[in-house]
Amino acid sequence: MIRTEEIFFRIGTFQLQRLSIEIATGQYFVLLGPPGSGKSIFLECLCGLKKVDSGRIYIDGREVTALEPRARDIGYVPQDYALFPHLSVEQNIAFGLRVRNHRRKDVTAGVTEIADLLGIRHLLSRRVDGLSGGEKQRVALARALVLQPKVLLLDEPVSALDEVTRQDICVQLLRIQRHLNLATIHVSHNLEEAFSVADRAAILHRGILQQVGSLDELLRKPNSEFVAHFMRCENIFCAEVISQGDKGSGTQVKVGDIQLQVSSSRRFASQKRSRGGKLTFTIRPEDVLVCPGSQFDEKGGNAFVAKLVRSRDCGGYVRVELVGPVNLVAHITAGRFAELQGKHQPDVTVVLRPENIHILPK
Amino acid sequence: MGRVYVYGSAMKAVVNIPVRGWRDRVFAAATFFFVCVFIIFVLTLIITDVFYIDKEAVITVLTSKFIRHALWMSTWTTFVTTFIALLFAVPMGYALSRFRFPGRIVADAIVDLPIVFPPLVAGLTLLVFFSQTTPGRWIQEDLGIEFVFQPKGIVLCQFVAAASFAIRSAKTAFDDVSQRYENVALTLGCTQWGSFCRVSLPLARNGIVAGGILTWARAFGLFGPLMIFVGSFRGRTEVLSTTIFLEQSIGNLEVALAIALLLIFVALIAVTGIRLVGGSAQVKL
Repeated sequence: MIRTEEIFFRIGTFQLQRLSIEIATGQYFVLLGPPGSGKSIFLECLCGLKKVDSGRIYIDGREVTALEPRARDIGYVPQDYALFPHLSVEQNIAFGLRVRNHRRKDVTAGVTEIADLLGIRHLLSRRVDGLSGGEKQRVALARALVLQPKVLLLDEPVSALDEVTRQDICVQLLRIQRHLNLATIHVSHNLEEAFSVADRAAILHRGILQQVGSLDELLRKPNSEFVAHFMRCENIFCAEVISQGDKGSGTQVKVGDIQLQVSSSRRFASQKRSRGGKLTFTIRPEDVLVCPGSQFDEKGGNAFVAKLVRSRDCGGYVRVELVGPVNLVAHITAGRFAELQGKHQPDVTVVLRPENIHILPK
Repeated sequence: MGRVYVYGSAMKAVVNIPVRGWRDRVFAAATFFFVCVFIIFVLTLIITDVFYIDKEAVITVLTSKFIRHALWMSTWTTFVTTFIALLFAVPMGYALSRFRFPGRIVADAIVDLPIVFPPLVAGLTLLVFFSQTTPGRWIQEDLGIEFVFQPKGIVLCQFVAAASFAIRSAKTAFDDVSQRYENVALTLGCTQWGSFCRVSLPLARNGIVAGGILTWARAFGLFGPLMIFVGSFRGRTEVLSTTIFLEQSIGNLEVALAIALLLIFVALIAVTGIRLVGGSAQVKL
């Protein structure tokens, strides 16, 4: 388990601002954020490569804030793997054991065991120059894991790999993490990567932890426009409150030329907003219902006619752009898209279910 | 095409460019033209010397005990100088490469100064320091460490004139070693010392060796400052470069050229030897 309390670190004009997170033993945690958000610096602070200005770091209940990197029981895989080019694969993996003066027999056993686990035994005699990206990644991982750390820190471990290798390595990472039951922090800017491995995730932006939670929470209930945008929610609207029912139910808002009924969370209910007040809400593109034709039951609420102006096949779904009283992006299945195309009419009916509309906190 | 070893980089990069089509051939020929012109020019100069000297001159060089002594002085002083220069260069190169401190840019510039100023200045400055200043006289007279007109002075003079090459090369070599390697070594259990010895130093080795070769070469051919600071006393402070000057000044041009050829031969063996030993040995933990 690794826990940070109010970590503060300043370098030049950049600051990591009071980051507090806790990752349980056996949990795979993904720290997401755009480049320059401070993810790598945060990992270096956890490793002890950068001394924090204030705050505390605990590993399995033991405070390690003031300890040297070598005394923290952390396995660290940097962004470009940093395999020592003057050593062979075997020497790279054995490096930590040899530095710690393990007996020759134990070094050989440790290296063989971890090489078998990662399927790289055949690479042991090779030099690192000729390895592929995926092989280098596994060797770097083996070098970090051979010391049996309590926490594994992975800095963009698959960002340099091609799509297929990336998926393959992500599967392996998760398998090994589960096998060794390690608290793992995986830094990435790639959402697909996070979906393939994460038990829990957080989003970091400009050194500030924006939101921590399950990926579903980050996806469905973002707490800021930035998080919504980062989670690729393209439908973010600023609306005016027309009326607010008890406990937030039946709240009517005006956005563009139409009124919408929105379903409010308890948090929203506790934040009383007066009539005429402003709020921001989001709706996921995959939650936008698009039906053929322009006939709809007006009493159904949150339904309106829009024009389908652009579409793009994204593999598993079709991204369509809709222009109407409010402009929206929807992700629909290829089957539904074919249905819409079959009508040879640009007009479609758009339905926004109130329960799918998420109001951002103030 | 042969293999080109890029010298002085953190890793030994082997570049082997395939030649495809006539454009590539023209390009390769153009680059090799300059290689050939330079090598032919240098070899022509050496061959001219070979044809100019006679049998007697060679016999004189091979049998003269003073020339043998000068050769010995040249050899041991330059290797001691190179060793001391590297002793300074490795920590200095690392410090200048890795640490940010007030006055770093000025310190960096001062390191380069001896490369820029004429070698003669080094001899003059040393002579003034040790004969005209209180600290200099204190070292010579009170501590009893004599440099002026002494063999020890040869090493000091060579060090002042040549150490900058080693320091500059070491700094560049450490600049080329990514700090990420050291960071990883620290997380794997190394101390700062350990990460320096096990990772940074082996990775910077080629650059450091290149600096050592430059330092040795500069020290081996040094002449002006030695004449001023230690003179050229037969059998005492005479080195090959000063012997050449003495011989030609008394009209023994053939002997001077024969010594010059000896100097070139020793230099060739030494530079090739250092390169082979220092540049290709496998580093092991």
